[in-house]
Amino acid sequence: MSETTVEKVNPAGQAQTLVTPLPNLTAMLWIAWFSLREMSRRKRIISLGAINLLPVIVVVIIRVWFPDQGVTAHMQLSALTHEVFIGFLIPVVAIAVGVSAIGEQVEEGTIVYLWTRPVRRRAIYMGRLVAAQTVATLLLSASLILCFLVMLSNGLGVISWDFLVLYFRTFLIIALGAFSYAALFAAMGTFLKKPVVPAILFTFVWESLVSEVPARVQELSLRFHLQNLVARPEAPVEDLPSVLGALLATALQRDPVPKLQSVAVLLVVMVAAMGVGIWRLRLKEIEK
Amino acid sequence: MSTGMSNSMSDGMSSGAGVQSDQARITAHKVGKWFGEVIAVNNCSVSVGSGVVGLLGANGAGKSTLFKMLAGLIEPSQGEVHVFGRRLRDEVGWFRKVGFCPESEALPEWMTGREFLSLSLRLMGFDKGEVNRRVDYWLARFELTDAQHRRLGGYSKGMRQKLKLAQALGHDPEVIFLDEPLNGMDPVSRKQSIDLVRELGEAGRTVLVSSHILPEVESMTSQIILIDRGRVLAEGSVTEIRDKIPEHPTTVALASPDPRRLAGFLIGQDNVLSVGLDPEQKVVVKTDHAIGFYRALPGWILANDLQVEEILTLDDSLEAVFDYLTQN
Repeated sequence: MSETTVEKVNPAGQAQTLVTPLPNLTAMLWIAWFSLREMSRRKRIISLGAINLLPVIVVVIIRVWFPDQGVTAHMQLSALTHEVFIGFLIPVVAIAVGVSAIGEQVEEGTIVYLWTRPVRRRAIYMGRLVAAQTVATLLLSASLILCFLVMLSNGLGVISWDFLVLYFRTFLIIALGAFSYAALFAAMGTFLKKPVVPAILFTFVWESLVSEVPARVQELSLRFHLQNLVARPEAPVEDLPSVLGALLATALQRDPVPKLQSVAVLLVVMVAAMGVGIWRLRLKEIEK
Repeated sequence: MSTGMSNSMSDGMSSGAGVQSDQARITAHKVGKWFGEVIAVNNCSVSVGSGVVGLLGANGAGKSTLFKMLAGLIEPSQGEVHVFGRRLRDEVGWFRKVGFCPESEALPEWMTGREFLSLSLRLMGFDKGEVNRRVDYWLARFELTDAQHRRLGGYSKGMRQKLKLAQALGHDPEVIFLDEPLNGMDPVSRKQSIDLVRELGEAGRTVLVSSHILPEVESMTSQIILIDRGRVLAEGSVTEIRDKIPEHPTTVALASPDPRRLAGFLIGQDNVLSVGLDPEQKVVVKTDHAIGFYRALPGWILANDLQVEEILTLDDSLEAVFDYLTQN
């Protein structure tokens, strides 16, 4: 038994045992590990996996129906990241795993099994959140890898150094997006009993509208900052399919903001959301 | 060590529920909890030492709220709750010595039984070998070994209940909170669990059992805390509490080959309010102090050569006590 106890003799000379909480990092990692296994078996993972096939389908369509239209792998990846991953997939996956990470456990009452352990609530919160963020990142990364494999089916000629840099940068952007959005939605889950609808409204109303408003207003959306990190694709050739051309044109209409600033904003939002979530969890009481 | 009752309804009803040692492990001092304008618990003080103690009350009496406050899961609106003299909400390290079995059936559905117990024990600070040893032991003890790799979503109500008990007891806690622990169990498991709770009490653990099923609690302990409409009505052993309900004297029936002689003797004795004969010719005694009556009875029998074949207390069951107190 590796219980952490400290023997201390009190002034009356009586032995007194002080019992310490489990170290935060240890507790967080154990909770994250078991939560990851639990979350990865949930039924909603299957539907999330299916939704994550969306960019793969887009790439397949371009590969099969427009093989000679001049849409390079570089351009495809930029457009997909801008519009499909950042505009849709990252927030959707983050909603699915984020709002349920802690809020659902409190609502169901299963959080009691963590609250009655010698574990601080911040470690519980962080463990659950890290598991949710990891699940979201893995799902999105799997989608990105499948896209890459479809692009490769065109021959190794599609791979240039610039493309590889863009590809790995996309991984990081997706991870950063998943971590930020999941942190935000997890915090939302500690405030609201039914956080899914507000989270959807935030994503598809607030984020969609605000990120399109010119000047500094667009900086109030996470989407803008994520899209700001994506390398600008080459200008599309004239005979591009009109939908893709329109998407890329939209993607290019951004006011320039330093990339470092966008990264900082995303990190600050993530950390602030974690802080708020931890604070909320500390105040929570068991209802069931 | 009992602090006794804290409100007028319960004046004089305290005999120190469950405080069988010198050290109270769970104490609540004038705690109250309200949700908006609804008062769930009002000005309750309790003190619990080692042994098994039943926390009794009808549905909606405030039992669950008090129970969760005592376990540190709900913050009192007023007053203080301590376990081992600590506020569990602030000093979570003390949960190493506390086990909690909730009433709610909710479990993490996508975990297996083994994973669930392993996580519970991992978070208590045990290493891998010790976790596995304890998981194996408790799975076997509750006959869940065959189901250990099944997801909890597929567990029956009784299996869930046993697993909840296992996670509460797995780390060998000194203070154990059991909220309706026998819900959904089959008769055999119920019997085993009752025996286990009694064993724990006899071993010096503090076991607080919340239940609204009186025979269930009666089978585990005679020490109770009775709560009704958010207030502690009584605290102590059932017999002691029963003795302190003056409006309802205890009725004792005595079988004797010479009932008239026995009845004649008992009239006018201390603690005897009335004596009569029932249709079966048993002597029916009403006493306002059953404990004193029972103490004196053997001496009377020996000194006066009385013959008594059977003694039956007709209304000192937990159910009767509960009825009398809640009616009043």
